[in-house]
Amino acid sequence: MIKVTIDGRDIEVKEETTILNAARELGIKIPTLCYSEFLEPYAVCRICLCEVVRGKRSRLVTACNYPLRDASVSILTNSARVRNLRKLNLELLLAQAPAAKIVQDLAAEYGVTKTRFPIKNPDEKCILCGLCVQVCENLVGAGAIGFSSRGSKREVSTPWGVEPETCILCGACAHFCPTGHIVMTEEADERILHSELTLGPNAAISIPFRQAIPNVPRIDVEHCIHFKTGGCELCSKVCPKDCIDYQMKDEIEDIDVGAIVVATGFQDFDPTPLKQYGYGKYANVLSSIEFEQMNNAASPTGGAIVLENGEEPRSVAILHCIGSRDENNHKYCSRVCCMYALKFAHLIKEKTTAEVYQLYIDMRAFGKGYEEFYHRLLEEGVNVIRGKGAEIAPIGGKFGEEGLLVRCEDTLISKFREIPVDMVVLCTALEARDDSADLARKLNISKGADGWFIEAHPKLAPVSTTTDGVFLAGVCQGPKDIPDAVAQGTAAAGQAMKLMTVGELFLDAAYAAITDEICSGCRICNGLCPYNAISFLEDKKVSEVNAAMCKACGTCAAACPSGAITARHFTDDQIYAQIEAIFA
Amino acid sequence: MDFEPKILGLLCNWCSYTGADLAGTARMKYPPNVYTVRVMCSGRVDPGFILDAMRAGADGVLVCGCHPGDCHYVEGNYKCLRRIPLTKKLLEGFGIDPRRLRLEWVSASEGGRFKEVVTEFTEQIRALGPLKLNDWAFAEQPLEVHEAA
Amino acid sequence: MPYRANMMVCAGTGCVSNHSLELKQALEEEIQKRGLTDEVQVVPTGCNGFCGAGPIVVVQPDGIFYQLLKVKDIPYLVEEHLLKGRPVPRLMYVPPEEKTPIPKMNDIGFFKGQMLVALRNRGMIDPENIDDYIARDGYRSLAKVLTTMTPDEVIGVIKASGLRGRGGGGFPTGIKWESCKKAEGDIKYVICNADEGDPGAFMDRSIIEGDPHSVLEGMAIGAYAIGVSQGYIYVRIEYPLAIQRFRIALKQARDYGLLGDNIFGTGFSFDVDIRRGAGAFVCGESTALMASVEGRPGEPRAKYIHTVEHGLWNRPTCLNNVETWATVPVIILRGVEWFTSIGTGDVSQNPWGGSKGTKVFSLAGKINNTGLVEVPMGITLREMIYDVGGGIPKGRKFKAVQTGGPSGGFLPTELLDLQVDYEQLTEAGSMMGSGGMVVMDEDNCMVDMAKYFLTFTQDESCGKCTPCREGTLQMLEILKRICEGKGVPEDIQLLEDLSHFVIDASLCALGGSAPNPVLTSLRYFRDEYITHIRDKKCPAHICRDLNVYTIDPELCLVKGHGCGVCRRQCPDSAIVGEKNQVHNIDQELCKKCGVCLDVCKFDAVKVA
Repeated sequence: MIKVTIDGRDIEVKEETTILNAARELGIKIPTLCYSEFLEPYAVCRICLCEVVRGKRSRLVTACNYPLRDASVSILTNSARVRNLRKLNLELLLAQAPAAKIVQDLAAEYGVTKTRFPIKNPDEKCILCGLCVQVCENLVGAGAIGFSSRGSKREVSTPWGVEPETCILCGACAHFCPTGHIVMTEEADERILHSELTLGPNAAISIPFRQAIPNVPRIDVEHCIHFKTGGCELCSKVCPKDCIDYQMKDEIEDIDVGAIVVATGFQDFDPTPLKQYGYGKYANVLSSIEFEQMNNAASPTGGAIVLENGEEPRSVAILHCIGSRDENNHKYCSRVCCMYALKFAHLIKEKTTAEVYQLYIDMRAFGKGYEEFYHRLLEEGVNVIRGKGAEIAPIGGKFGEEGLLVRCEDTLISKFREIPVDMVVLCTALEARDDSADLARKLNISKGADGWFIEAHPKLAPVSTTTDGVFLAGVCQGPKDIPDAVAQGTAAAGQAMKLMTVGELFLDAAYAAITDEICSGCRICNGLCPYNAISFLEDKKVSEVNAAMCKACGTCAAACPSGAITARHFTDDQIYAQIEAIFA
Repeated sequence: MDFEPKILGLLCNWCSYTGADLAGTARMKYPPNVYTVRVMCSGRVDPGFILDAMRAGADGVLVCGCHPGDCHYVEGNYKCLRRIPLTKKLLEGFGIDPRRLRLEWVSASEGGRFKEVVTEFTEQIRALGPLKLNDWAFAEQPLEVHEAA
Repeated sequence: MPYRANMMVCAGTGCVSNHSLELKQALEEEIQKRGLTDEVQVVPTGCNGFCGAGPIVVVQPDGIFYQLLKVKDIPYLVEEHLLKGRPVPRLMYVPPEEKTPIPKMNDIGFFKGQMLVALRNRGMIDPENIDDYIARDGYRSLAKVLTTMTPDEVIGVIKASGLRGRGGGGFPTGIKWESCKKAEGDIKYVICNADEGDPGAFMDRSIIEGDPHSVLEGMAIGAYAIGVSQGYIYVRIEYPLAIQRFRIALKQARDYGLLGDNIFGTGFSFDVDIRRGAGAFVCGESTALMASVEGRPGEPRAKYIHTVEHGLWNRPTCLNNVETWATVPVIILRGVEWFTSIGTGDVSQNPWGGSKGTKVFSLAGKINNTGLVEVPMGITLREMIYDVGGGIPKGRKFKAVQTGGPSGGFLPTELLDLQVDYEQLTEAGSMMGSGGMVVMDEDNCMVDMAKYFLTFTQDESCGKCTPCREGTLQMLEILKRICEGKGVPEDIQLLEDLSHFVIDASLCALGGSAPNPVLTSLRYFRDEYITHIRDKKCPAHICRDLNVYTIDPELCLVKGHGCGVCRRQCPDSAIVGEKNQVHNIDQELCKKCGVCLDVCKFDAVKVA
């Protein structure tokens, strides 16, 4: 530790601390343009120049990278000499990049309002601070941008001015650019809308969803810059507890269990392909889950229902059956939408003064108390229109900034209607998860054409599956609302408990057996068994079935040329007898 | 009196039999001509069952299993898929129209499909008429034929 | 069999471009024709230094100096000098304003005042032959160091000698070596900075082209002292001959076991690689040079951590200039006492206390003897310009001399008795630099000269830091403005402010010294600026926009009889007048090109 004096105030700092950091500890502000705490000081803007006084000698150094090494120095961060240099520097920058707001502001702070030097380009914003290049090269590790030419012709560009292959579109350069010279542009009308409202992560490191357990951030390896280029590691630099571990890997653990309850739920139908609804195109067309998220008190809007521009909507349309009850998408009814749509209407009425329009095919208020809720909503003045929303069009602006027009046919009055609204909520279908087929195969359970898992019997075994010990709970078996899902989950848990309390498993009596005397030892059956339950006994020269491994499919019995294999409970004799009985 | 075909249905326990069950619980209507025998897997279907059924008086045999890739026993239906065409050739050898034997995939959720398959196959057999076996083929020693095959 | 005579043909770049290689061939052919092959040897040498007199042949051992030779002179020369033993006076050097030729090289003023240390082998050896170098005590120092001295002793000698960096900075070499030796790190490097970028300067190139082994030997000695096994030579690609000579020298030294593993069986291993730079001026700056060697853009970095600790690839690196390396073996061989006897100041206590040894300068500009000279430190500018340089041509008046390359300052007549050493030059507002010396006479406009040199440094600025990039640009704009007659009185103050700002705030020495010409011209020739701005006049008539051309009617009519040449030559038809009548210039139309002035044979056109 050494003691130095900054602007007359003493401070003790570790050796090699830069003047900038020491000054910051004292709360002394030294202006910077090219400095970032996440990067090695580049020291090119020279705005942070300070005087280092040692005895009678004074020397000018850049505060951002000058390391304090001995105690006898005193530092002047704002002496007349320093201020004069900064003024001239800012005046030069005002001539070079007159449109850079950060320069204008800083210059104004120093009383420089105009420059005495000729201005090259009044729209120029780039001050060539090099942050973008540094970030791309040293932090991101992509090296996609750099400087070209030299001297006063120096500029930030990509190699040969073409789109570089090494660019990973991370946007870090734009993020670090202090003047707004680098901006990320949107391609082909597509915009990231209400990105703050997504349930999932919108940064490469985040807590996966609100109230997640454990409530800790995790890295999205697919989008993390570090895993693309090996660079960045910003999160570990800011973490005060050194918690970030890039070595951590997904681990696959084997757990022995006696029963499995499948409760994998659903995924949201993506309404983007339904171009008529303009989802992803118009800023104020939201999916139901996004709207739900906005209503959450912990949402970025604090639970307020607002348009993208932050204003309160004057009218909202809620469109039912987006993707469900639809010949082109899902034929089934998603069951929950009618009721949550009514809840939405209620929330909008409660929080705003907006008109609410419900566009439905059939109002399915089937549960206990549901019909009553529907009637209450009607009394609250919600407009219900029987007719599916046909199209959403912008009233003004490319992205419907000035309002949206909902087109539909009101079947109760047999009229085609156009309703101007500010916001549209799409009640998207519940659909089976994309990976349901994989899971079905893994667990040896069946799934229907819609992807929902099939129970062993719709009435008699509603939570069991065709595989012993595997049970179903919730929407993975079919759309259902929370009460139904809870009921089914409780039942599945009960079924699983039943297995466990017994403590031992009873094997099916049906399995294949080989009669030694008949078996010729041809070994055809050996390769057929999908469970490798059949082995060949070298000493006896016959095959043998391991009864515990056999699942009784009977394929071996069907193939045995000498009829030596008996598929118990489905023996040849039994089947022949059945055939005889049928056709006798 | 009209010809009412008698058809043997060999259904796998996990998909097709459940599918047939679903057709029932869903109150679907389909011809009563298919007489169902449950096997654990379509892979259990021994060609002997088919030949024996035809000897015993079946006008057609319908074998149903899980869709490829969905077999409860991983790959039993693939084995069936290879055995049925061979059996059809055998039937031809006996002078039996191979169209009287059919393999269909019906999953547990496809009650409707089971109904369609049965209806359509019954109509096909009805059109083919009753199965008449040559005396030389089956009259004396029916089981020996099976063993020779 | 020893040769009776050696014809030392200069094969430096200057003479080569003046066809000295054809001369050499002609000489060899002629010698063969005359049957002198066994008696006379033709030796191509490195740069002789007196480039203004090239192509040069020196006949040794007599030291007869022949200049400005042409191929057609060769038969006569061979016949007269070699066959008949009569040196040829008409091919000898004649000092300006005199008539008697000087036959011997060492009697010529240009050579007389010189003291050759770094250039000790110039003109004496074939640079492509290591045996020549060895014959003149080459690699003796290395042997001495490796077999009889510890690394610390070597550093002690260099420190005591007071040798300071010849690249311009003047940092004591011994201290640099010592810090690099002390720096932590297993792998360290030495680098030879041969990125000579000053326009008109060619000291380094001459040393490499004339005596590459002296550089290699110096590097090997430094490597031994510091504890380095790998060295790099950074040469700009515009020096192809230097690169080629280095390649040959490297190969020969390796073949002789003077580079490589286990040199002289002492267990010391050292090798050198060549790195070629693309020729950016800023790459002469140590950090930019190292960035370039590493393969990154040649831009300097902020260095409060010295390159001797974190240099090339972040490892301790000792970088010295060609001339510094070439001087090292001489110091080792001849000792501290001899070296410190030359130069100024006292370095026995403080290595910064004086400037010792010799320094190579390239003389250029308005001077009779242009070329390369090596003189002892402490020589006055007057000796340098008038004795070694032979004075100003055409008897014109000396106005200023710029030392230290494009970012050196201008020193006026009053400072002619200034001693040339690091401290005194810096005090006067200039610098030692790499040893450029450009002489200006009364025909030079100092504003224009400042603009000229700033144009160079501004163009060569890498643009990394704001002061150098934007500051020099705006300074240049102001100078252009002044030269165009659009200057305002405030410009002088603004120029001074900007100059101090660029010097104080720039990242590296390029910006830190680029305003020197402006500052010194403002300091010593401020009245010229005032004349430009207030009177809109250029006293030297260099700044064309400020000139006014007129025709003296009397001279035009009486002497020229209204010849009309100027009227016909004027591209803007600004001159009117009938034949045999007085001509006049229409000032509205005149674009001030100056053609009339050049074509008038009767000096009737006047410029003011």
